[in-house]
Amino acid sequence: MTALLQINSVYKDFSGLKVLVGIDLTVEHGERHAIIGPNGAGKSTLFNVITGKYRVSNGQIRFKDQDITNWPAHKVSRIGLARSFQVTNIFPSMTVYENIRNVIVSKKRMRFNMFTRLGNIENVNAETREVLETIGLETSSDISAGELAYGHQRALEIGLALAMEPELILLDEPTAGMTTEETRDAVKLIERITAGKTLIIIEHDMDVVFSISDRISVLHYGKILATGTAEEIKENQEVKKAYLGSKK
Amino acid sequence: MDAYVIQGMHGLVYGMLLFLVTSGLTLVFGMMGVLNIAHAAFYMVGAYFAYTLVAWTGNFWICLILVPIGVGLIGAFVERVLLRKVHALGHAPELMLTFGIFYILAEVVKMIWGTYPLSVSPPSILAGSIPFAGGIYPTYRLFILLISVIVLLILAFIMQKTRIGITVRAAVFDNEMVDILGINVQAVFLGVFCIGSALAGLAGVVAAPFLTTYPGMGLEILIDAFVVIVIGGFGSVWGALLAALMIGELQSFGIMFIPQLALVFQFLLMAIVLVLRPQGLFGEAA
Amino acid sequence: MTTIRIRNIIFGLIVLILLIILPFILSEVQLNMAIEIAFFGLFAVSYNLLLGYGGLLSFGHAAYFGTGAYFTVFACKFVAGMPLFLAVLIGGLGGAVMAVIVGFFCVRLSGTYFALLTLAFNQLIYSIALKWRTLTGGDDGIGFDKPAIHLPLIGKLDMFSTPNVYYVTLIVVLISLALLWFFLKTPYGNTITCIKDNEDRAEFIGYNVFRSKLTLFTMAGFFAGIAGSLFVIFAEFVSLDAIGLTMSTEILFMTFIGGTGSFLGPVLGAGVFIYFTEWVSDITEHWEFFLGLLFVILILYANKGLISLIPAKLKEFFGKKAPVGGER
Repeated sequence: MTALLQINSVYKDFSGLKVLVGIDLTVEHGERHAIIGPNGAGKSTLFNVITGKYRVSNGQIRFKDQDITNWPAHKVSRIGLARSFQVTNIFPSMTVYENIRNVIVSKKRMRFNMFTRLGNIENVNAETREVLETIGLETSSDISAGELAYGHQRALEIGLALAMEPELILLDEPTAGMTTEETRDAVKLIERITAGKTLIIIEHDMDVVFSISDRISVLHYGKILATGTAEEIKENQEVKKAYLGSKK
Repeated sequence: MDAYVIQGMHGLVYGMLLFLVTSGLTLVFGMMGVLNIAHAAFYMVGAYFAYTLVAWTGNFWICLILVPIGVGLIGAFVERVLLRKVHALGHAPELMLTFGIFYILAEVVKMIWGTYPLSVSPPSILAGSIPFAGGIYPTYRLFILLISVIVLLILAFIMQKTRIGITVRAAVFDNEMVDILGINVQAVFLGVFCIGSALAGLAGVVAAPFLTTYPGMGLEILIDAFVVIVIGGFGSVWGALLAALMIGELQSFGIMFIPQLALVFQFLLMAIVLVLRPQGLFGEAA
Repeated sequence: MTTIRIRNIIFGLIVLILLIILPFILSEVQLNMAIEIAFFGLFAVSYNLLLGYGGLLSFGHAAYFGTGAYFTVFACKFVAGMPLFLAVLIGGLGGAVMAVIVGFFCVRLSGTYFALLTLAFNQLIYSIALKWRTLTGGDDGIGFDKPAIHLPLIGKLDMFSTPNVYYVTLIVVLISLALLWFFLKTPYGNTITCIKDNEDRAEFIGYNVFRSKLTLFTMAGFFAGIAGSLFVIFAEFVSLDAIGLTMSTEILFMTFIGGTGSFLGPVLGAGVFIYFTEWVSDITEHWEFFLGLLFVILILYANKGLISLIPAKLKEFFGKKAPVGGER
């Protein structure tokens, strides 16, 4: 069976600035894959290229053995690939409930439905409530998303990706800015919601990385230095030299 | 003198006048992200101030100094008191506000000076024509050219060679960075806004004896200014120069060859640029 | 049904009855004003689809209003026996077609670029209409020979009596508003709100932002076209004024002054605007100055328009921004 996601020799430059310089990566079904690397290594750019925010300068991206290179973001989102953002990217003027409902409406292909009152569509309401319960925000559902506490905003952030019911979920630094306790809760949430799905996670927090992931890729100046299990990465000389010098 | 050369000169003169008006507008947009529609009203107010000043003192020359200062002060008021309030609200409120100010100024002009076109006589030394390139050409138009070129050179010198100029260019490019470097960005904004407004006022003074001084002159120049800014690129003074000259010549020769379509062509060009290259020929990518 | 809903329904019925008997209690002049407020109100609500709901500031909305007016005249001119209501529909379709063409180019852009491109297109359409004298009459405009309406039991209703024009306008406007009010409560209405709140994220959860905005732009163009048809039925004449920059800026004033955050706010704005042009102009010839001043003051101090200054009770009736989705 072919891998779920295949990235072949992907390059990305911005007017001369080379951010991705030949990325080769394979992610298998059901795998939990972490991507680590110093700031500026190109991790978020890689996500942006996979999910259709940026076009590649060269290379190919295959998802479920389909070439999705340079597909626009909305098209990529509709085939089972969802992502969350490092900087919270929710719908600030809408309530928590409406935030999740936006995704459900999209998932059910009702975006252009001009014939029914949205409030009356029971299966939309039911699924929205389900997702809210999964991410633990059902009591906050009437609160405006922009007014949520930071930890809850990050949960909503993940919830927006989860509500798509994706096969592959990309989380970009989900625990950014969290306290140790919030991080622990976040990890539990992530493990719960990614059960049965494939996960690629960008993370700086090494404890999270080592506890969650099956395999790790180290990104450095736009290239993947090494890919392997936690042990393999810990032993890798080049990786040590480039990145794991500092303790965490 | 050859008919083409004359038309070409006409186009050049109007183009340079347009440049005088749009240079300030494009700088303000590049730096503050605000398209100041009221800028065209500053131009109009400049012309009207010139009319009154000339009526009182009979002296056109002092208008070239006093009017830009007056208009610059108005600009300072607009920026400090009005624009700052809505800056945080986003593009739409800002754009609507500058439009509202333009509208009000046009009405105020009507209230004070009436709706009929006024005539502003140039000083006698500039009236009439002088020998030029083998023929004769209206002196006043050459004067417009002279003034605009002087302003262009001064602007170019300031922008390229002085510290203030470099600061301004940096702020146009990335005002957050400039702020981090400890430079008072608000002061730079205010300064550029004032100078821009003053330039518009100067253009108004210069235009008064040349074009008709009437309440619609603001709108007239506004549309052309927009076309120039779009084509030349937001934030680029050189782009404004090139585009202004292009539009000046287009209108001049357009009237000669394709009078029916000249107007249409101008807006078509504007639309095409916005669709294919929104940042204009020389602007920064949006 | 909750007491609030019952109260709203009764209030709505009272207003409806008032609207129906208006021709009997107003003078001819006042009735004409009411007609103007009605179709300008619809025009403004259509504009608010873009400004208030879509967050798109357009400087060229008159293009679709004017196109609607011209198309209605053409429909009756070139097709003998054209029914009036069909002509109105054709006006709407004309506006929609124009909007889908212009929108295709404009909707990719945002902010100031969007505003400028809509302006450019408006000017372009204006200058084409100006030059195409044989079709549009150019500067002079064209008169509208409005057909009478033939109804089964009632017989012929000629469109030269003001009450008849009023009722036709009222029916079309009420139906259009009802349609729009409903649209905004559907999932598509939510799509628009969602995109306005965070266009970027919307793309990543599967929304085709371009197509959604283009649809909105076309809808706004359609209803502007309908308003334009009603205008030409009222004015019996259409000229470039209906399609020019002045009309585009007037509709901006109306919509914003009324209030962009509510569904019927723009109708209030139309009312205020018409009042200004008819009555304030009797007091001072500089009424436009005061209009501009009102506009600027609202931007600075009450940017949700006059309707946001109305006490909360009344607001319930005017329905702040069709609550997208309704009850849960």
